[in-house]
Amino acid sequence: MSDVPTGSISHRMKIRLLLIMVIGIIALFVMTLASLSLGTVNYSLSTVIDSLINVFNNGVTTGIDRTIFNLRLPRVLATFGVGAGLAVAGIVFQAIVRNPLVDPYMTGVSSGAGLGATLYMVFFSSTVAISYYTMPVFAFAFAVLAFMITFLISKVSGNSNISFVLAGVITAMGFSAVTTILMLTNEQHTHGILGFLYGSFSSISWNTAAIIVIPVLIVSFLFIIYSRTFNVILLGREQSMELGVNYDRFRIVAMLVASFLTAICVAFVGIIGFVGLIVPHLARMMLGGDHRLLFLASMVLGALLLSSADILVKEVINFIGVSIPIGSITTLVGIPFFVLIMKKRGKGYV
Amino acid sequence: MSEDPIARNVLIEGADINVMYENFHALHDIVLSVKAGELVGVIGPNGCGKSTLLRSINGLLKIESGELTVNGLDVRKVSLEEMAKTCSNIPTEFPPDFNLSVYEVVMLGRYPHRKSMWWETDEDEAIVRNAIRMFGMEHLSGRDISQLSSGERQRTLIAKAYVQQPKIMLVDEPTAHLDIRYTLEVMQYFKDLIRNEKDMAIVIAAHDLNTVAKYCDRIIMIKEGRIVANGTPEEVVTEKNIREVYGVVSDIIVHDGRIVMIAKYPVAKGERESSSISPDSKSEKHPVVNTEMSV
Repeated sequence: MSDVPTGSISHRMKIRLLLIMVIGIIALFVMTLASLSLGTVNYSLSTVIDSLINVFNNGVTTGIDRTIFNLRLPRVLATFGVGAGLAVAGIVFQAIVRNPLVDPYMTGVSSGAGLGATLYMVFFSSTVAISYYTMPVFAFAFAVLAFMITFLISKVSGNSNISFVLAGVITAMGFSAVTTILMLTNEQHTHGILGFLYGSFSSISWNTAAIIVIPVLIVSFLFIIYSRTFNVILLGREQSMELGVNYDRFRIVAMLVASFLTAICVAFVGIIGFVGLIVPHLARMMLGGDHRLLFLASMVLGALLLSSADILVKEVINFIGVSIPIGSITTLVGIPFFVLIMKKRGKGYV
Repeated sequence: MSEDPIARNVLIEGADINVMYENFHALHDIVLSVKAGELVGVIGPNGCGKSTLLRSINGLLKIESGELTVNGLDVRKVSLEEMAKTCSNIPTEFPPDFNLSVYEVVMLGRYPHRKSMWWETDEDEAIVRNAIRMFGMEHLSGRDISQLSSGERQRTLIAKAYVQQPKIMLVDEPTAHLDIRYTLEVMQYFKDLIRNEKDMAIVIAAHDLNTVAKYCDRIIMIKEGRIVANGTPEEVVTEKNIREVYGVVSDIIVHDGRIVMIAKYPVAKGERESSSISPDSKSEKHPVVNTEMSV
């Protein structure tokens, strides 16, 4: 950091944003190729490129095409979408509760969405044709419900940052417990339990990838537009109002939209914890707290984190023959981060 | 209030202001007038209504009855945005640590004047840079706010309020966490500010009588939601007022041309009520002024 700001700050910021975009797109492109070539069968890079060219020219013709274009490509795009979406939702929840220790998982929102999706699967999944579109609606309703419960528990128990985190954790546990019971008592759905409770991208189709990625992009774009307002609301209710922000309304709308974003991410791939905590924290360490940089950088980082974790999942199957849920990887990475943040600045938040 | 307050150079004008917190009557029939160029101190014991008065002026609290205008705008009708351009507030609470730099926090003060959703203009940057220079913080501008001392934090908040380019600056307990050196520095900023920006007014709610008496042109003394004295430091900081409002026996001396209050001892219980200003002053009710809803 230079001491005296010389030259235009917004000019410097534009350059940083451009860098984020360029590096991010290159990194995502590399990650896409890696994800397409790695799996139960590893293909060489030239095989992957040949296959993509073949699909582009002649459509899906070979078995390799099917694996690469119909299974692996939507899968990697979904990891990008969910990674970016959870990171953005994490930033929004952190800003509206003014606490960098929360993310969609810690607020109970992910688990709420998980229960909503499970209820749908158990009771309504006979009407498969519409399930892609109605399942997220269920997930959303329960995500909002979970946030309300967390918020209320926190409010009646002193409204401190630590009470919010604890309220979120118990809400998440409660919703997950109900989800587990529902899954185990409905045998026809049991096979997906673990995959769903801790997240899995193994059954992603082009359809589901599109339903994840498109809303994530639209919602993130909306949040990015309001980046400066997010900077202001970090100051709290009174100071935000003194700067002309309708704090209460902004917070409610942001909470609803972020819950929707979480629901979209959770509905098809299950609960993946800590992405919304790790990623914004990394981005803040690199770029500072301005949301104009934070949102975009976190989208790229979130996409990279989750796609890397998914490659790990695929490779673990190759080595030990067992499928591990992706959420367990993000959780294992996330916990040290949580401890780090608590240790570094816990005093101010407890 | 028949005349146009702007024509008379009056920035804050209030008549018969009453504020209620549920059942607690926090401000009684306040009459107030602050002109451009004035540095006004508001003093009084804990819970007397100092902060309530500031919050009424910038519209954060709804007044129950009476009239209150800031820069000619009715506080009950003005929008948040319009108020943000008229009136800035320097709070006691500092924002939590989200890795914002001093420069970024000061820039937040430009939010009400934004020309686009996303970018600051060159003008915004010039104003912020100027403010950072003015408050002697060039060397801090890139630093994370969590690494600042209390005095530096206070300066950051003052700079933020300054770039908001308000007509009225409201300051709540500016020196609460500061040692004597920073207290003097911070108060001197306000003094210099009012000397340079003559079309502006500053209202400071503070505890320290001697600091207020040293720097403010005018002092408003509040007891239990009523103004009991309003005038120059010499007129307001008197042995009689200190006794009646704070229940403290004091000596008032003049040293180097300024008023200094030396508190001696509390008045014995019962004795104080004989000269009571309000008849129902026995109950020690404090308003719940914290409307912050952070979780």
